Amino acid sequence: MAVVEAPPVPAADADEAAPRARTWTRGLGVAVPAALLALVAGACFLAPLVLPVPSPTGGNILEAGLPTGSPGHLLGTDPNGNDILSRILYGGQTSLIVAVTVNLLGLAVGGTLGALSGYVGGAADTVIMRLLDVLIAFPSLVLTLAVAQSLGPSLTNTILALGFFSVPAFARISRAATLSLREQPFMAAARLCGTKGWRVLLRHIAPNIAPQLTTFGMLGMGVVIVIEGALSFLGLGIPAPAPSWGNMISQGQASLSATPMLVLWPSLILFVTVLAFNLLGESLRTRWSVR
Amino acid sequence: MTAVAAGRHRGVGGRLFASPSVRLVGKRLLMAVPITLGVSILTFWVLNLIPGNAAQQLLGADATPEQIRAMELQLGLDKPAPLRYLDWLGGAVTGDLGRSLVSGQSVAGQLGERLAVTGELVAMAFVVSLLLAVPVALLAAYHPNRFFDRLSMFVSVTGLSVANYVLALVLVLVFAVRFAVFPAIGFVPLSESVGGNLHSLVLPSAAIGIPMFCLYTRFLRGDLVDQMQGQDYVVTAQAKGVGPWQVLLRHAFRNSSFGLITVVGLNLSTLIGATVIIEQIFALPGLGQLMLQAINTRDMAVVQACVVVFAVVAVLANLLTDLLYAVLDPRIRYGSR
Amino acid sequence: MSVKRDEVLTADPAEPAGAAALLEVRDLRIRFTRGGRRVHAVNGLSYRLDAGQMLAIIGESGSGKSVSARALLGLLPSSAEVSGSARFEGAELVGMPEREIRRRRGRDIAMVFQDPARSLNPTMRIGAQITEAIRAHSGIGRKEADERAVELLKLVRLPAAERRFHEYPHQLSGGMRQRVVIAIALAGEPRLLIADEATTALDVTTQAQIMQLLVELRERLGMAVVMISHDLGLAASYAQHVVVMYAGRAVEYASARRLFGHVRMPYTQALLGAVPLLEREPHAPLPVISGQPPDPAAIPKGCAFRPRCASATGRCEQAPPFSEHEPGHWWACWHPAEDPPGGSGGSGGGGENGATR
Repeated sequence: MAVVEAPPVPAADADEAAPRARTWTRGLGVAVPAALLALVAGACFLAPLVLPVPSPTGGNILEAGLPTGSPGHLLGTDPNGNDILSRILYGGQTSLIVAVTVNLLGLAVGGTLGALSGYVGGAADTVIMRLLDVLIAFPSLVLTLAVAQSLGPSLTNTILALGFFSVPAFARISRAATLSLREQPFMAAARLCGTKGWRVLLRHIAPNIAPQLTTFGMLGMGVVIVIEGALSFLGLGIPAPAPSWGNMISQGQASLSATPMLVLWPSLILFVTVLAFNLLGESLRTRWSVR
Repeated sequence: MTAVAAGRHRGVGGRLFASPSVRLVGKRLLMAVPITLGVSILTFWVLNLIPGNAAQQLLGADATPEQIRAMELQLGLDKPAPLRYLDWLGGAVTGDLGRSLVSGQSVAGQLGERLAVTGELVAMAFVVSLLLAVPVALLAAYHPNRFFDRLSMFVSVTGLSVANYVLALVLVLVFAVRFAVFPAIGFVPLSESVGGNLHSLVLPSAAIGIPMFCLYTRFLRGDLVDQMQGQDYVVTAQAKGVGPWQVLLRHAFRNSSFGLITVVGLNLSTLIGATVIIEQIFALPGLGQLMLQAINTRDMAVVQACVVVFAVVAVLANLLTDLLYAVLDPRIRYGSR
Repeated sequence: MSVKRDEVLTADPAEPAGAAALLEVRDLRIRFTRGGRRVHAVNGLSYRLDAGQMLAIIGESGSGKSVSARALLGLLPSSAEVSGSARFEGAELVGMPEREIRRRRGRDIAMVFQDPARSLNPTMRIGAQITEAIRAHSGIGRKEADERAVELLKLVRLPAAERRFHEYPHQLSGGMRQRVVIAIALAGEPRLLIADEATTALDVTTQAQIMQLLVELRERLGMAVVMISHDLGLAASYAQHVVVMYAGRAVEYASARRLFGHVRMPYTQALLGAVPLLEREPHAPLPVISGQPPDPAAIPKGCAFRPRCASATGRCEQAPPFSEHEPGHWWACWHPAEDPPGGSGGSGGGGENGATR
């Protein structure tokens, strides 16, 4: 069926820019944030292996409070004499590991739960969704704080606490996508052919809800990085001597007026990373026309 | 009086109770109850993940096992968790949220004032961000892809990527340290000075409100453009010969506003949660600050109460947006044919 | 990719002498640029409409009929490039400044759209949507406008008009909604009403009622109607003149009476063949037009119908002129069909004879 309903009269986009430039920018919309993220991840994970990056902890008190651009300490040092750049890189490792793990957790648990719930429907669906409503009703930061407090600050516990609220969000998206799929004729066809339930889920539903979940995951990466930062900022995330963007900002806050760069450097990298994830998510959303 | 005017007065009384929106309101109210209960159970469970911890933490590391045992008895921690929950719930329903383990004061008594501060902060951030977002989105959508539109989209995508604690510190750096326009920390109660109160809340509410403003602007602008370019009723309105602003305001915005209510509702809990960290940064005596203090002093009763209050407020706020929707949207108000 | 267009049109139906026409469309061309591709939605459309007449524009979806109608009201997205001419009572609509064309919308030319469920604002009361149209062109007060709106609802025979005035679109049935849309269109007392597939979304009974209403309104208000449809049968029953469009071009134009007795263009013939007829044998397969309408971004050279036409020859690679081959009957074809023996329109292959000049 290639009936071309010629220019659908109220054209979907009134973009007057030159058409070639537009497809070109659209490609950039994915490439630029992706490159930025590759740069951030590369710097965080590879640079400490390849370059002589000083240790992020156990700094020399004699080297404390060096300004930006000091020899051997590109971004200077903090009041404990630790190299700021090194702390940013190692802190970035933590942030990215937490963000990826939490989103994979949310995707695996929440995505499956939502798809199952939407596909099976009926009472199971109602029960699962009511339970998720409870979680969604929580201000996520508050719940995460409670969980983190109860478990005690550590990397694993941060991941668990953050996973707690990422699951219902993924489940909700996945369920909505599955529900709209259920109405599609090809689903009925698959069922009429006698395809088994799990096979329908795996072969028909999973690939079709993947774009929505991926887009949501990209936006979720930014959210998780911000909340992990908040946890560490409040002292409930990554415990102190170990670096994290959040606890760096928190430590810097004490001397905000005297040495603002202690706050601004980690803030900047946090912003750039979150922005890149958001832009990537948005570009994927437009490209796959997901809402 | 014309027949037209007469018709307007007829149905009002008769349809009130049979109206679908009343039924919807009832349904939502009924659903809020189990959700609130669920939230409190979940809180209770989360805070008791590691049993016996409370007494240990309260007494510190050098406490003897006997001391801990005594403390557990005193706190009622020897009873099984479900029983303790029921005890707590029984009290909570009658307005007794227990006593602070640290100060021994009634928790409920502490909450009232705190809630007022947090409420004022949220309200200020919310109202200002919404009031700014609507005109900006309308102006942007009036000429899509022109300079103002692109600028507003750039600002909102950027603003959405700034963590609110970073934003708060940058605001402090600029408006309190560099130019001493607003205080960096502290809170002036409303009873003391209205002007001083608002003055002390400008930076905190900006830190919460700016990301919300960006979110609302981006959503509303996108939805308005969708309505203007994709909806037939917009073409009908244009074909009547009415002006472009009227089409945007009376037609597109009216329809987009329902989507906006949904977005507002979905993000209310984020908005409320943001107060925790912002109150901490600006040293505002709100609910979030109380909760963080309680977390640091291991005061479980207070933490429990704070989390539940936060959750109940979020549930109620969601309920309110649902109701608003039901009252405003004629498709719900009058049901479908 | 593009055809040299100047030779396509030797003369056009907008030309005939006589009294000044209400609407004269001449060589209208509309081009869109979408996603890097130039799309030629309308490639030279001409017709003429006298006051109080009903003209049907017939074509498949994508033939450019709706686009050409929206162009008359300046309702195309800004990415559309419109050229050619469309004169309404002598005033040129193509390139008219937005402010001026807005003044004419609803007052000179009004439009009714395909889907009444979507063409009304779901969040506004019926009454407000009509009074808005009334007040857009006259300075009358709110109360007067309300009364006028109820009058209009009665005019389009909406039952219980006073009550409906206060209701919302979703409380009405499809047919009732379309009556409301028509009432809105009538609010500015236009001299031309464009009904863009106005009955397509309705069931057959309602469709007949709405068409009857349009015919009646045309007679009562002396208003001309352009009816846009893919349904040739519908056009035959109600319109005085018919323009058949294919791939953005007019391919046949005649009075309805003449056209259905003497189809010339194989495409029109194929369209007629695709209409189910009672006299056909039961269970006989309906003839369908083979192939698909051309992609408006890649319209074939010469006659655009060539790839689907049974009568096509090498000559069709040159675009046939759209001209008045018989008095009052225009077509664009090198191999026009002959009148069938019975004289009534029907199916059958195109004739193999050359062009009648």
